[in-house]
Amino acid sequence: MDKKKSRDTWSLRNIILVALIAIFCGVIFWGVDFIYNALTALLTPIGLGPAANDILMGLWTMAGPLAGYIIHKPGAAFLAEFLGSGVEAFLGGQWGAATFISGLVQGIPSELGFAVTGYKRYDWVSLNLSIFFTVVITFGWDMIRNGYSKYHFGLLIALFVIRYVSTFIFGGLLTRAISKMLDRSQILPNTAA
Amino acid sequence: MNPGMKLFLVILIALEISFTENLVVNLILIAVSFIYIIFQKISFKAFLALIFVPLLPAVAMFVSQLMYGTAGIGFAWILFTRIYAYVFLGATFTLTSNITDLALALEQDFRLPSKFAYGVLATFNLVPKIRQQVKIIKTSALMRGEVLHVWSAKLYFKAILSSIQWSQNLAEAMTSHGFVEDAPRTHYKVIKITWQDWSLFIGSIVAVQLLLFFIRN
Repeated sequence: MDKKKSRDTWSLRNIILVALIAIFCGVIFWGVDFIYNALTALLTPIGLGPAANDILMGLWTMAGPLAGYIIHKPGAAFLAEFLGSGVEAFLGGQWGAATFISGLVQGIPSELGFAVTGYKRYDWVSLNLSIFFTVVITFGWDMIRNGYSKYHFGLLIALFVIRYVSTFIFGGLLTRAISKMLDRSQILPNTAA
Repeated sequence: MNPGMKLFLVILIALEISFTENLVVNLILIAVSFIYIIFQKISFKAFLALIFVPLLPAVAMFVSQLMYGTAGIGFAWILFTRIYAYVFLGATFTLTSNITDLALALEQDFRLPSKFAYGVLATFNLVPKIRQQVKIIKTSALMRGEVLHVWSAKLYFKAILSSIQWSQNLAEAMTSHGFVEDAPRTHYKVIKITWQDWSLFIGSIVAVQLLLFFIRN
């Protein structure tokens, strides 16, 4: 197989690997649901309930950058994020039909970060691009879907900053820490291939 | 209804009500989904969850719009009902379809390559094992006096190690059961898109457009 082809085509094994990473993340985040609910309950009396969503956004959008950063294939980030949402919908997540849409809205930008580098860079730069697109696009979506656009400007900025920090911590710093551990263990299947 | 088509229908309607601000249509969608769900014989517990789980975020959104929003109580109610419309619409799909039929439909009727359909399907069936594995990772860390949190890199590192190993095993298991990537397949269970599916799909879409057009808040 020539080099380009092996880079771009998906094998059964890689599909399963992405799906496994997505589901593992989903299962790990499962425990966070109560934090989300507690945060929402705490913040609602002061009218900041939706901020819980922005505080935890980094977790929910982490599978994409993580998978993209580990499995160097076009589509990996999108697939992980979208499958993650599918798992959530079927296991009885909170959001019903919106979960699938969230999967798209979160999956496309996290893929975009790697796509704009032509899938040549899988480093701190592409990871940050991925985070940037994720924050901007998911926030734009929440402007429409969750009525963020009708908030006062000050609150809007605050929510955006919270979301960026959260996504940077989980999608950026944590993902980098994980991949450093993987590099040291020299087990990654696709860095060599 | 064909599960793939039902999924697209639900997603399309959910997308549409995200962009429109129509309280009455939201309520109608909730009511129709509600009636549909009642006829599906779901457990009482699942039913209660459906009603109460979205309540907290819906109230949060509502209060927040009242305190910091500029669009008034009408818009707050639209957001409130929108969340319920999403959840009830979603339930009409998730409570009546299973992932196996969805995978089969997407493969047979929507040209999804079979390696994606079956690869993902096989992995979904590992969910109970994955849950157990996360517990094992956390517990074995505890035995060494280490608490792994949701922000601990080690937790994910170990999960990925398991994923790499399992993906190899599962792919080999599928191959040894006769699965050949990119080879043409015959199907034991054939799922087709019938003309009833099409008419229900188009009928529902048209009905939602008419409602949105004729009902003004």
